[in-house]
Amino acid sequence: MNHHKFFARIVPITALICRLVLGILFFYAGVEKIISPREFAFAIYNYQLLPDGAINLPAVVLPWLEVFLAAALVFGIYVRGASLASALLFLIFAAALSINLVRGLDISCGCFGGASGNINWFYLVRDMSLFAVSIFILFFNRGWSYCAGSSG
Amino acid sequence: MSDFLQKIKLKIAAILYPACKEAVLLFLTSVLVAIVFNVLRPAGIPLPGFSPAKTINVQQTKIPEITLEEAHKLYCKNKVVFVDARDPFSFEEGHIAGAINIYPDEITLHLAKLKQMLSPGSLVVTYCDGPRCPLSHETAKGLKLQGVPAVKVLIDGWGLWQKAGYPVAEGNK
Repeated sequence: MNHHKFFARIVPITALICRLVLGILFFYAGVEKIISPREFAFAIYNYQLLPDGAINLPAVVLPWLEVFLAAALVFGIYVRGASLASALLFLIFAAALSINLVRGLDISCGCFGGASGNINWFYLVRDMSLFAVSIFILFFNRGWSYCAGSSG
Repeated sequence: MSDFLQKIKLKIAAILYPACKEAVLLFLTSVLVAIVFNVLRPAGIPLPGFSPAKTINVQQTKIPEITLEEAHKLYCKNKVVFVDARDPFSFEEGHIAGAINIYPDEITLHLAKLKQMLSPGSLVVTYCDGPRCPLSHETAKGLKLQGVPAVKVLIDGWGLWQKAGYPVAEGNK
């Protein structure tokens, strides 16, 4: 079997697994934040990047965006849009994390709701890995058809 | 070579263009659902405002304490709602009769029910078990943040209440 055939088989299956894992992660992160919006608003406030008046809106919208991205990724609806949006989200998170890591602030990540662990460089690595996963899904997702071994 | 690059560019554009449209649609849908859900839910937050000073004040404020005698007097006059801050299993094993179980992490889930139980002028008293138990303070601060006006803590509430032989209940009632 040549390399091309091997990659043609393995890449879409990997994309499918990545899609499901990312979807589950987004679902968990979104629901945790929807349950307690005030705690998440406080986590955003701690990042010291937005003016006070502009904190509650992302605290309300972002968790729902994560839930919708999760649904899209898991059920295979608008997967390209969801993976693009997720890549952009991870870029924004990475920027926010980097700024505060450089500032040396010891604050809660807020990644999975208000009670998440404090930020460190590992969170940035994790974030950039998930960004890479989103880009991978964007370009290599072929839906469920590859499960049955068809060429899609 | 330039043909190859052109092909790649076209392929990427063919993926990105519909992806952008879908992403915008997903974003707008979530904004709409989020705002409607926030308006309808009891634990919703005001969209344009955030008051860090208020939040920090509440987090740093010491919640006032209440003695067993005072709490019992108010209980007899029906002017207190007890909030059991322990975990649901301990609550089911036994709690102050009429208390509602609100573990610190679950405040937003039970807030609506607690507000229904409150009458004008009634006091909320949180308690847990043992003189060093932090749960009653955590729940009390969380309730303050959610806008419950009068909250006090009964230190070692469950232990003292039982020893005094005051009314207790079991299960989820």
